[in-house]
Amino acid sequence: MKLLIIEDDNSLREIMHRALTSEGYVVEVAPTYFDACDKIAGYSYDCILLDIMLPDGNGLRLLEQIKALDKDDRVIIISARDSLDDKIEGLDLGADDYLPKPFYMAELSARIKSVMRRGAGAVNRTMSAGNIVLDLQSRLVTVNGNAVTLLKKEFDILLYFMQRPNHIIDKAVLAESVWGDHIDMVDNFQFVYAQIKNLRKRLADAGASQNIKAVYGFGYKFTDTEV
Amino acid sequence: MKLIYKVTRRLALVVLPVLLLWATVFYFAMVNEVNDETDDSLEDYAEMIARRVVTGEELPTPGDGSNNTYSIELLPASGGYRDSKAYEDREVYIYWKKETEPARVLTKIFHDDYGAAYKLVVSIPTFERDDIIKAILFYLAILYAVLVFTILIVTVLVFRYSMKPLYSLLKWLDGYRPGNGTAGFPDEESVLEFKKLTKAARETIERAENHLERQKQFIGNASHELQTPLAVLGNRIEWMMDSTSLSEEQFAELSKMRQSIHRLVRLNRTLLLLSKIDSGHFLDKSDVDIVSIIENELELYKEIFAEKEICCNVNVPSGYVVQMDEMLATTMVSNIIKNAFVHSPVGGTIDVCISHDELIVSNNGDEALDKARLFDRFYTSGKTGSTGLGLALVKSIACYYDYGLEYAFDGHGHSFMIRFKR
Repeated sequence: MKLLIIEDDNSLREIMHRALTSEGYVVEVAPTYFDACDKIAGYSYDCILLDIMLPDGNGLRLLEQIKALDKDDRVIIISARDSLDDKIEGLDLGADDYLPKPFYMAELSARIKSVMRRGAGAVNRTMSAGNIVLDLQSRLVTVNGNAVTLLKKEFDILLYFMQRPNHIIDKAVLAESVWGDHIDMVDNFQFVYAQIKNLRKRLADAGASQNIKAVYGFGYKFTDTEV
Repeated sequence: MKLIYKVTRRLALVVLPVLLLWATVFYFAMVNEVNDETDDSLEDYAEMIARRVVTGEELPTPGDGSNNTYSIELLPASGGYRDSKAYEDREVYIYWKKETEPARVLTKIFHDDYGAAYKLVVSIPTFERDDIIKAILFYLAILYAVLVFTILIVTVLVFRYSMKPLYSLLKWLDGYRPGNGTAGFPDEESVLEFKKLTKAARETIERAENHLERQKQFIGNASHELQTPLAVLGNRIEWMMDSTSLSEEQFAELSKMRQSIHRLVRLNRTLLLLSKIDSGHFLDKSDVDIVSIIENELELYKEIFAEKEICCNVNVPSGYVVQMDEMLATTMVSNIIKNAFVHSPVGGTIDVCISHDELIVSNNGDEALDKARLFDRFYTSGKTGSTGLGLALVKSIACYYDYGLEYAFDGHGHSFMIRFKR
């Protein structure tokens, strides 16, 4: 899997490179519009991460170029401007996803996986970890082939963890991504504990090979149950 | 008080003493003139009687048709009188009329050819002073009324006409909201004062607009520029927490740093949203059902704040549709409900109701909040995790759509009211 990172900020580019390389991707970088033009014209990538605010040009024009070359590279726009117009324009021009800055690498990697999965064909809309399989379209969960009934929020939480295996997930970050902005003045995360407790019980009862582990004081981690 | 009332009132007040002064002068001048004429005829009359006394002719009989009266007496010879004349105003009894009348009286002392001294008193009835004063005052009052009325009409007309530029400027300023720009600003005037005023107002507005624009841009730009470093910072910490072998303590420190960054990210995002609302980025309007938003949000917050065991009373119609940007509508309703949940005590009650285009959300509380600063950015009541921007967001959105937003405290509960415009 070959990725191209088009990002002008050195530090961000470096950590994106590092994080994605460590996940097993082949990563190339382009710090400027000019470099990016060269790379796009000369090579093919599975996924291009495109910052649309470049010092020497608008990333949206790069996107037009990619589409004009009739390539089937997936494109994820990363932008500091969380503006609806940019998002709509980007998606109209054929971008596959739009990720506003600031984002966590785990989020980025989850988006890449999701985009690549979509690229592999609409048939394969599932995610799996160990013996757990999530069908993203029908929102059904099976463990070892047996259906497990989950509530809406429990499904969202499980999906979030499965997209970020082996990362320590802060409860506040988890709560925010599942419950949205609603939690930003909450000082008690009892509602997260309650949901996770139920989810863990359901997974354990179904005999799942992976489960959510509490990392005391910091949050949770999705790992193999044997570990 | 309107300027025109002030001006007319002052004019009326100035005219009053001037007219009174003039009336006094007029009265005395008139009395003087009348006395003068009367004195002349008294003089002639006295002269005639004196001549007849001296020549021994027959004196006129009283009641000869004129109201003139006279009396004459021979003064004692030893007196050594000198000829004299004295005029006075006095009430005189007229025999044949049998009544007293005000009269002009001349007392004259004269000598005949043999040196005998006579005292002659002649009187001619004159006018009643009171009547004259009354008449003068009466006509004066009429004059005053007519004058004031005329002044008023003329002033109003002239004022209206010449102050037109002022009123058009005031009208424009009344309708002005910061950020509106200077569209429709009244044209420059040929009158110097108005020219100056219009110019000054225009310059001030332009300067304010400019500042506002720059401030908005600054907040927007600053927030944008912060996004990348924040992403870098967060991810470097994440990286360390994921991949290095850390002691428990170091891990805890990093975790706290990550939480702080998370808070920063949230703050920054809200600031961006605020600056977007302020610069009018949300021009899309669609039919939004406030009731369904309320129901969704209540369900979410009940779940999130489950341990507070808050009781919700909802009294809303089956649907309430307004024209808004959906995201803003949700943000506004969500924040006002969240505020109620956050500040409600454990076991408290939250009331949500919609009636007469007003959405009212109330919760228990025992201390009034600072009304003046409540909706300010970064004003917090000291709750942890609060960005102090929630209510500022509500206010910005309400302002954007020109909705009313009010806060009230009734002794044991806070209530927030949004008045929609449909």
